[in-house]
Amino acid sequence: MEAILAAHEALESKSNLSKALSDVDALISMLQTARDDVSNGSDKPVLHIAKLKNPLKQSFDRIEDDLKEVNKGLNQYQKALKDKFKSSTLPTAGVGGESGLGSAEQKGLVERAIAMHLLREGKFDVASTFVKEINAASANETYREEDDMQDLAKGHLQKKFADMYHILDALRNQHNLTPAIEWARNHSAELENRGSNLEFELSRLRFVELYTSATSQGSFSGPLQALDYARTTFPSFSNRYMRETSALLGSLAFSPDLGSSPYKTLFLNSTAWEDVSASFSSTYLTTLSLPSRSPLHTACTAGTIALPTLLKVERIIAERHGQWTSVNELPVETPLPSGYLFHSIFVCPVSKEQTTDVNPPMMLPCGHVIAKESLEGHARGKHRVKCPYCPLEARTTEAKRVFI
Amino acid sequence: MAELTTTKLDPDTHLILDQPLLRLPHELLRKNLKSAQRQIELANKSITTSITASATAHSTPAETLASLDATLAKAQNLKRKLEALHAEERTLHRQQKARIRHLQDLHEIPSLADVKYDVWSHVRLDRLLVDYLLRQGYVESARQLAAGKGVEELVDIAVFEECGKIDAALRGGDVREALAWCGENKQALKKINSNLELELRLQQFIELARTGEMGKLMDAIIHARKHLAGGADTEFGLRAGGLLAHPPDTLVEPYRGMYSRQRYTTLASLFLQTHHTLFSLPAQPLLHIALSAGLSALKTPTCHSVHNHNIGTSSAGHFNSNAASLTGTPLCPICSTELNELARAVPYAHHTKSFMEEDPVVLPNGRVYGRERLRGLNEKLGTGKGRVRDPVEGLGGLEWREEEVKKVFIS
Repeated sequence: MEAILAAHEALESKSNLSKALSDVDALISMLQTARDDVSNGSDKPVLHIAKLKNPLKQSFDRIEDDLKEVNKGLNQYQKALKDKFKSSTLPTAGVGGESGLGSAEQKGLVERAIAMHLLREGKFDVASTFVKEINAASANETYREEDDMQDLAKGHLQKKFADMYHILDALRNQHNLTPAIEWARNHSAELENRGSNLEFELSRLRFVELYTSATSQGSFSGPLQALDYARTTFPSFSNRYMRETSALLGSLAFSPDLGSSPYKTLFLNSTAWEDVSASFSSTYLTTLSLPSRSPLHTACTAGTIALPTLLKVERIIAERHGQWTSVNELPVETPLPSGYLFHSIFVCPVSKEQTTDVNPPMMLPCGHVIAKESLEGHARGKHRVKCPYCPLEARTTEAKRVFI
Repeated sequence: MAELTTTKLDPDTHLILDQPLLRLPHELLRKNLKSAQRQIELANKSITTSITASATAHSTPAETLASLDATLAKAQNLKRKLEALHAEERTLHRQQKARIRHLQDLHEIPSLADVKYDVWSHVRLDRLLVDYLLRQGYVESARQLAAGKGVEELVDIAVFEECGKIDAALRGGDVREALAWCGENKQALKKINSNLELELRLQQFIELARTGEMGKLMDAIIHARKHLAGGADTEFGLRAGGLLAHPPDTLVEPYRGMYSRQRYTTLASLFLQTHHTLFSLPAQPLLHIALSAGLSALKTPTCHSVHNHNIGTSSAGHFNSNAASLTGTPLCPICSTELNELARAVPYAHHTKSFMEEDPVVLPNGRVYGRERLRGLNEKLGTGKGRVRDPVEGLGGLEWREEEVKKVFIS
């Protein structure tokens, strides 16, 4: 990068048109002087002009030299670029072709993903422009099917995201719990079924907020309000959060001097608002069956991480097998950071293949798991099979499908 | 064998997709310089001739003065032109600087796990999206997104906008703008042996021939002599000559194809291809390249399995649960409705090692969990002591005795 930076700086400071411009200025003033001389009644105008010829040529030579300097700078920059980016080929696999992302059929899906990404990012104005432009384009091209883009922007999803941003804004920026608590209460049953703590977390924060607020009306008004709140709200949590609610109520006994009480950490938590905001947005998105981070971002980032490996492979197998997209599994491992692993992966220890719906993982009674095809191969048509990993024998029918 | 995970960040290979970012402004600077050279050449010629002319003529002082004024005006004109080009150059330099800095930022990030990488990759995604929007002709969306994200210096709205206009004109049957563009880039086109201009001239010829009127046919012949006969490529002249012998409703190939309106679409594609080559732009949207690789790298056989409980739209299957659950793991992007259909056709990632939670156990319904996570999730669900539920099923599913949970061996 340093070489590129240096070449760029040379371009900015030296190799630009400013020198040529000042030489043109010199040319103009030279012509101007000649003109002034002639108009001032110089006796031999023709001679004057004849005398101009040589300087004129020189100044154009100079200007051309100035440009050569610019050209030299550009060449140097290009060389720096070339040194930095040795290969300029980009992978083509998976992009073109019938089922590639470039095909008309997939185009709608790509655009749908983009629209959802824009909504998720809160770029509602861009999303609506986008949908408008798509519709305008598809009005001209009759072969494109009408997809669900329209209701994507107008309806449901946009409203959901708008609601989310509204609640998040209140929570994060204004420290206002009311909209979030209201949402959580409306979805109470669903959240409980999913084992979410969100509703309780919000209520706890409200309790803390009430407790520490309103010191102007005497030091006890805060704790009293908190107690009042606890009486009306906490009973519904009593089963699952017995321990937590009693801790909160216990803190009331220490109300004048919380800092030295055992409940200190409950109250003096500086990241509480950030935590609860993050917890809210991921819960909210999960109830919509959407990942909390943008899938488009995850996929594109994973793609750029995997690309160098794929590119190398593409180069190697291009002559032999065609493209890496022509099979149903990539030919090489494409390691990603651990945050990009979302599922457990089971590779059969016998066949070294990943299991699929067609060839699922089977557990023998001893607890060892191998792929179904491996099991069948191992049994060789008999009804009994010995586990490849321990001495135990079992009937093939005893092997059980597991879900990993 | 490669590792299952990596956090290594090698900026050089990581920037495969980012070359056009630096190459395009460079090509534009070259073009800018070429324009300056042409302007100077023109001015040089005309100023020198007019000076020479006025020096030789036995003219009155008034005439000399007038001729000098005209020369001066030419020089002023040159100055104006160069000033405009210089301004353009400054803009390009500024753009270049911003882009170099953006790529430099990546070099200063130690690993893929760094939060700064997350920020950087978001900017890159914005760039890829704007690139995609521009290529599809959604200029207004692109503009809004670029402005909203503050990445204007990192995207090439003006270039694509101009390109899109010419493309649209061609598709609408108008070759003038494309020809003007060819004129601006004459030298560069010659360098890459492009026959775009010849194809466009041939199209003009075809339109003249299509009329079938004698006068127009004569014009066509003159047009062909002027534009199609000069080059080393005689094929164009031959095709043009042959066309004259065939009426527009001919069924004889290649003349039928030449008369076809479809030819404008072909021309438009040829133009795009030429344009992108000239400016070092990849033929495909960068988003497609990144996305197709990413979909594969993330995809597992589970993502499109009928047993996948994360797919909101999946039909019943073995486990009937059409909503995602909070099982503690983040939702998979490939399973989400946003990308699921899109990823259906791509191959899944290759793995040679199993990847499992610690201490896996299996529930009576066959589903496998890490023991610790299963315990934590059941606590959240409020399952009673000594009992266990499948967190995916939530409160609606079965409840078992803890003894029914069995250890499972996965290698």
